[in-house]
Amino acid sequence: MSIDISVMIGGEAGQGIQTVGELLARVCRKSGLYLMAINDFESRIRGGHSFFQVRISDRPVDAPHHDINLLLSLDKNSYELHRKDLLDEGIAVMEKRNSISGKNILAIPFLELAEKSGGKITSNTVAAGACLALLGAPFEIFREIVSETFAAKGETVIGKNLEAALAGYEAVKTFSYKFAFEWKPDKPRGILSDGSRAIALGALAGDCRFAAFYPMSPATGIMAHLASVANEFPLVVEQAEDEISAVNMIIGASFAGVRAMTATSGGGFCLMTEGLGLAGITETPVVIVNAQRPGPATGLATRTAQADLLFAINASQDEFPRFVFAPGSPAEAFETTVRAFHLAEKHQVPAIILTDQFLNDSLFIVERPFAVPENIERFIACDNDMKNPSEYKRYAFTSSGISPRALPCAGKALVMVSGNEHKEDGHSTESAETRTRMVNKRKAKLYGMLSEMNPPGTYFPESEILLAGWGSTRGSVREAVDILRKDGILAGCINFSDLWPFPADAVKKILKACEKFYVVELNSTAQLGRLIKEQTALSYSGTVLKYDGRPFYPFEIADGIKKQVR
Amino acid sequence: MAEIKEYDSDVEIKWCPGCGNFGILAAMKDALAALGISPEKILIISGIGQAAKTPHYLKCNLFHALHGRALPLATGAKIANHELTIMVNSGDGDCYGEGGNHFMHAIRRNIDITVLVHNNKVYGLTKGQASPTSDEGMTTKMQSDGVISETFNPLSVALALGAGFVARSFSGRAEHLSKIIREGIKHKGFSLIDILQPCVSFNNVNTFDWYRKRMYDLFEEGYIPDDFNKAMELSGMWGDKIPIGIMYRKEKPSYTDKIKRLKENTLISGKYLPEKVQSVIESL
Repeated sequence: MSIDISVMIGGEAGQGIQTVGELLARVCRKSGLYLMAINDFESRIRGGHSFFQVRISDRPVDAPHHDINLLLSLDKNSYELHRKDLLDEGIAVMEKRNSISGKNILAIPFLELAEKSGGKITSNTVAAGACLALLGAPFEIFREIVSETFAAKGETVIGKNLEAALAGYEAVKTFSYKFAFEWKPDKPRGILSDGSRAIALGALAGDCRFAAFYPMSPATGIMAHLASVANEFPLVVEQAEDEISAVNMIIGASFAGVRAMTATSGGGFCLMTEGLGLAGITETPVVIVNAQRPGPATGLATRTAQADLLFAINASQDEFPRFVFAPGSPAEAFETTVRAFHLAEKHQVPAIILTDQFLNDSLFIVERPFAVPENIERFIACDNDMKNPSEYKRYAFTSSGISPRALPCAGKALVMVSGNEHKEDGHSTESAETRTRMVNKRKAKLYGMLSEMNPPGTYFPESEILLAGWGSTRGSVREAVDILRKDGILAGCINFSDLWPFPADAVKKILKACEKFYVVELNSTAQLGRLIKEQTALSYSGTVLKYDGRPFYPFEIADGIKKQVR
Repeated sequence: MAEIKEYDSDVEIKWCPGCGNFGILAAMKDALAALGISPEKILIISGIGQAAKTPHYLKCNLFHALHGRALPLATGAKIANHELTIMVNSGDGDCYGEGGNHFMHAIRRNIDITVLVHNNKVYGLTKGQASPTSDEGMTTKMQSDGVISETFNPLSVALALGAGFVARSFSGRAEHLSKIIREGIKHKGFSLIDILQPCVSFNNVNTFDWYRKRMYDLFEEGYIPDDFNKAMELSGMWGDKIPIGIMYRKEKPSYTDKIKRLKENTLISGKYLPEKVQSVIESL
């Protein structure tokens, strides 16, 4: 990798950190560079400390980098907090009025420059301009991005921001910066998307027509993206009074015949578990996204975790089949969401998608295009499909466990559905025999469901040492493998996206070939490791676990492994 | 007009002999027959409780769901296909206790469904505990010193929340109830029908005789249900005189009326639009 630069923008909530960060990200994308950016913030609207860290490269990057080449410090605190990660030849750029003396500080009068150019309000554009100029970015591309960004606000606002952008460029033109690099403008490598947007787009591509939710970080972004385009589609997005209502609304909508979803985080998912069971016993397809954050209870509202895996697999009382997926990138998040709608409907079960704050809120360049299906295959039975519609039985016993699913009031067939244990016709029953047969019927679906599961993704799978991770850590684990191999440790990795029903045979085959495997997870008890052990009888040799609410940096994983294998 | 026997179901009824629910079931069949809504054209959703068993006892499409959750489920179904005629059978515990929050917000949404609350002022299925509508002071095995909390008044609450159809009937007056159900179904928007109902097993206070002595019929009085303040006053009346009938009626756009893109098509009949999804992706 010839270019690998990490820029951090730090400050208080409300100072426009994301605005500056996204300007930088969009300039990089437009120039044909790769990037990924994490959003770190507190549960508050103003004040405190937040940062946006963008890693820029000429090669694909899927994980954040810990070293900082350029720190734009919008307040004093950010410099103090992050100077330890600032490289020796890196610089910290800050507002002259608030600047302090210290190593590598470049003080620039952003406010004064803004007042002289586009006005006080444009000081962030000045700052973005200064950062891009330091990195050597061509002004022409920044000009285009500024014009696009402020297009909706009219010519005057665009003009003022362009003046400010230029003032930022001018302010640093005599400064020589070690990490400036040669920009070779090229076509964008892909679209810029976070996980939230990818899931929302996946829902549209999966023909989701109804989404109900109760706001909860870090899931709200998914619903916000859907709501922003709902007018253009046969789609209704409804804010429910609570998560219990949200999950029951989507069950009702799905029962009536449209594909439906909800998105929440762990706490909201707790409230949905009763409804999850209702979807299970009534065999109603629904898609539920649990964007994980640290818990229990409120935990850390704006931070990341992977501690709901075993909960998702086991949530709600008693037993019933469900799908559990955990995509590892926006591209996978899109594809998994499309699949989740398809598979939930095909098998008449709930499908749970586990993401987390890191995946939902981080920006990635997505190279693999989001492929929208041309047609949606529905699995609905009509009167014409039945010998005698008036004899229709919603829960008819079949060898696959899947009964023909008719819709209410769509024909002569009466559709009777019950959350009480029921007979084939849907009426309640106390019969021991029928109860046993119904449990078996639902359970039988697991075989068909298992055949739909993709094996885990691998990277150097024939290595002596394998790192096993799931969901959003995919990029960090793969980069840790690169670090380890460079340091002479022959490691590879296995990244799970399809988790339940557990693809045990494929996993056994991969893991039996290695000498040792280590699980890498953002929880404190190695939930994936325990699941692998339960499902394959293979034991992990060690763990790299982190549960402070922050995402993995690849070096942390590599260091954790090195300590155990040397 | 359909035949009442078209709605007869052969499912064994599991209510106590003499239960008020029999009257409600009869009135529902009568109302559906009178409106000519055939069994395959009606969807009845219920929660949990004795009342929630009702849809099994007549021919219809049904979803027997979770305790307290019938209203959000019905809301989702109605949004998915607003051409469905949806009724809900609920009870005082189901609708006003476990589902109290959903009750409030379903009214606020003015979702076009007809909600029958079988209000026997006691928990039947769980054997006789107090319900939100139990009279203050009523003693039960669990409330042996009498109910301490104030009695929940569903009609006043519904009116305060802006409900456009607020009515009360009595399970022992099937004809009166049938008429109100018919009006409730015809009403475009959320219709609340609170149905007073004796519980022969667990409520020794509010018996058939107790009600018969106190009830008076607003239809017979020639009451016109268009005055909000008068309706509020009627909804608060309890004790010696208990009014039954439609207390308030005012049509206004329902939830699905207010969503422009549902004017031409229901959600379920809309088209999948892959090109449009592609253009949203490309706009990034």
